[in-house]
Amino acid sequence: MNRHSRALLTILIVAAILIPYWLLNRDRTPPPSALLPAAAPVPTRGGSAVASTRTDPRSFNRLVHGQIATEIVSMLTLGKLVRIDRVTQQLEPWLAERWEASPDNQIFTLRLRDGLRWSDGVPFTSADVLFTLDAVYDPRTQSSLASALKPGGQPLARSAPDARTVVVTFPGVFAPGIRILDNLPIFPKHKLEAALAAGEFAKAWTADTPPSELVSMGPFMLTQYAPAQRMVFDRNPHYWRRDEREVQLPYLDRLTIELVPDQEAEVVRLQSGRTDFMQHGLRPSDLATLRPLELQGRLQIEELGVSPNADSFVFNLRPERWAKDPRGAWFNRKEFRQALSHAIDREAFSDAVFLGTAVPIHGPITPGNKDWFWASVPRYEFSREKARALLAGLGLANRDQDEWLEDERGNEARFTALVFRGNAVLERSAAVIRDDLRQLGVAVDIVPLEPNSILQRIVGGDFDAAFVQFFASDTDPANSKDFWLSSGGVHLWNIGQKAPATDWERQIDELMIRQSATIDMDERRRLFNEVQRIFAENLPILYFAAPRVYIAASARLINLYPALTPPEIIWSADTLAIRDGGTSR
Amino acid sequence: MTLGRFLLRRALFALLLTFVASSAALLLTLLSPGDFAADGTFGDPELMAARRTQLGLDRPVAAQYADWVSRAVRLDFGQSLLYSRPVAGLLGERALNTAVLAAAALGVATVLGIPLGIYTGTRQRGAGVRVVRTLSVVMLSMPPLIASLVMVLFAARTGWFPVGGMMSAGASEMSWAGWMADVAHHIPLPALALALPLAATLERLQGQAMSDAIRQPFVRAAEARGLSSDQAMLRHGWRVSLGAVLGLYGLMIGSLFSGSFIVEVVTAWPGLGRLMYDALRARDLYLVAGCAAAGAFCLAVGTFLADVLLAVADPRAHMEARS
Repeated sequence: MNRHSRALLTILIVAAILIPYWLLNRDRTPPPSALLPAAAPVPTRGGSAVASTRTDPRSFNRLVHGQIATEIVSMLTLGKLVRIDRVTQQLEPWLAERWEASPDNQIFTLRLRDGLRWSDGVPFTSADVLFTLDAVYDPRTQSSLASALKPGGQPLARSAPDARTVVVTFPGVFAPGIRILDNLPIFPKHKLEAALAAGEFAKAWTADTPPSELVSMGPFMLTQYAPAQRMVFDRNPHYWRRDEREVQLPYLDRLTIELVPDQEAEVVRLQSGRTDFMQHGLRPSDLATLRPLELQGRLQIEELGVSPNADSFVFNLRPERWAKDPRGAWFNRKEFRQALSHAIDREAFSDAVFLGTAVPIHGPITPGNKDWFWASVPRYEFSREKARALLAGLGLANRDQDEWLEDERGNEARFTALVFRGNAVLERSAAVIRDDLRQLGVAVDIVPLEPNSILQRIVGGDFDAAFVQFFASDTDPANSKDFWLSSGGVHLWNIGQKAPATDWERQIDELMIRQSATIDMDERRRLFNEVQRIFAENLPILYFAAPRVYIAASARLINLYPALTPPEIIWSADTLAIRDGGTSR
Repeated sequence: MTLGRFLLRRALFALLLTFVASSAALLLTLLSPGDFAADGTFGDPELMAARRTQLGLDRPVAAQYADWVSRAVRLDFGQSLLYSRPVAGLLGERALNTAVLAAAALGVATVLGIPLGIYTGTRQRGAGVRVVRTLSVVMLSMPPLIASLVMVLFAARTGWFPVGGMMSAGASEMSWAGWMADVAHHIPLPALALALPLAATLERLQGQAMSDAIRQPFVRAAEARGLSSDQAMLRHGWRVSLGAVLGLYGLMIGSLFSGSFIVEVVTAWPGLGRLMYDALRARDLYLVAGCAAAGAFCLAVGTFLADVLLAVADPRAHMEARS
């Protein structure tokens, strides 16, 4: 190679290094108009926004499917009679403008707004409400909402004296009252009556249904769905809601939801300004990536507070599981679980798993649930000495001078914990717990599995322990009776018992039934604190940390009303607006 | 062996491979823990059981498999549990998207890999050869996930290409030419993420084969007959060296159809790989079996095409096949 060739090659190599460096680091400070102004701008109609989510909807039929993408479609395109404001947790009028309760709090008369219309112009009436409840309770529908809409295990009685009035009768006193109707999106009778009559409601409005066949009562209409690519929602011209200036909502002309299965790619899109926000909150690791963009004025990042949901380390307490397993002699004892709780340094756990963006917790009700959080819930402070003493009391000791404890019959203190595969936070949490318990001499074998596999194993009782995520639909515990009652379908440690297997579960059952039938709020709190005390003593589930919730959105988006629970921004999509009237994307 | 018998054998092989792959995928999905009825959320166990019964997932594995086989032989691959649509229709749509991406990636890999292989194979030393070989090693050792993320980051930072997806939001309302231009704008990055490791493989293989070929006596003989060194190398040496490279094409086509799911997931390309990924996560067993069948079929077709190309490029291979 001669001198010229060498020089050329050197120039090429240097260019190959410098050009990508320049491309990736060049100043991309936005024009001044994109920077956040000091005063809150007035939202106006117009413009479009782009969001992202990770999965396709399995169906557009929210009565049948409860998956998040289906829930998003439902939030954007359907309406409820009443809505729980996810920020204040207060019940607010929605399609029903007002309601009255009978003195015994069992009969509610709801008055629908005047002039409500579906997106195809057909009037919305009380017949649609009765139709939807009929569909939910029809066993052929196999509705995922049916259980939540049966307080006391009984369906709501319902009638419609006229086209604008719905009367709902509860089978007994139910403290949350019509808060449970926040679960119920109303479906159009004129479109789906035939499907319900034919017993085919479960097959109606599948993801294969052309968007032109769907009608909307929400702020938007689904106008395009390209599987695995995007959903496009356009303004519903008949949407009923107006702002305080009498401007009809939604402000946005169009909301596009891109389907981006990879979370890293989602963050990159947000970084580059290709999307305005993500359907879910930020991971701790995303904060460091996105903070510089906030400083440049291209993104707005907001901390919303402590999440009301926390990851759950569930123990399998089914007696039949341990009947023939010698480990049951100690695994099934509350002292074993108390020892494990003592052995976890929750502060260090928060730092390691959530990079410091979480608060230690000691029960299922986190500080994010302001109405029901009990600061005096019994705690198990970090103490390996106390943990060892409790384990010694169960006969667990290191008998063969290896790393692990053994019981008197020589069985190692070892169990398996299932964890959602691909969920980085849960996998990291499980690793921290495994390491902490290893120092105690308790072996935890972590088994990552697909969520569906874990759900099926939990329902079938085929597990030792599992680290899972699940979200309560409401912060009011009376609406989470499936979790608290021993007969409940989400009573994760021993699902669907015919009679309570333990005395403490029987006590919780009694307290929860009394609590949900009591109207006096102070008394309800007292009863529920007692439930939390019993739960903390027996620890069927361990809780370690509740993450702080952060959301990020592009600076062009204004009038956000984000909530602590997902989908944090989309839940109030009708108020979203684009700065300065909106340039379309 | 006659051409007819050769084709028949290949067709039978393709059918057998497709059947075995899809059967194995179906059975493994059936036997692995978890099923579609869980729906990804905690719910009422009775509801879950009712769904399982309705979908026929509570029947014995053998009965479910026999039912699937009896329909599959009539080319009815069932209904996707996830999308409530016939599997065949879904496969057709997504396979077309993947085919577009695969063809682009194969084209880029060939255009980059073969000439660079000839270059490094015919020049044993030099800074240029070292640079190409180093880049090849880097590309070969880069996992597809990282390559895809680098491409997405590149698109995000430069703004030169869309960050992902196959077409823009309004593409369905565009003219045919506009639609083509939109897809062409979306394709470079996922195609490059797929093509670069393949180009590196082709470069390494072509370089080695070329290096061997130019030492063959017939190349020397061609030079002795008066052909220039470059002419002898390209007319004789390259054709012979293609044998090893073409053998790889069949596998590459198959892997592009069935193994590109990471690239499709990261770049949000709505192809077969992503469909398979979604189907596996949801335990949509009929869709899993269908995707496996499509992947295996493409592999068989790719191998067949590679054999045909090889026979055209190197008559000795054709003769061996005939004998």
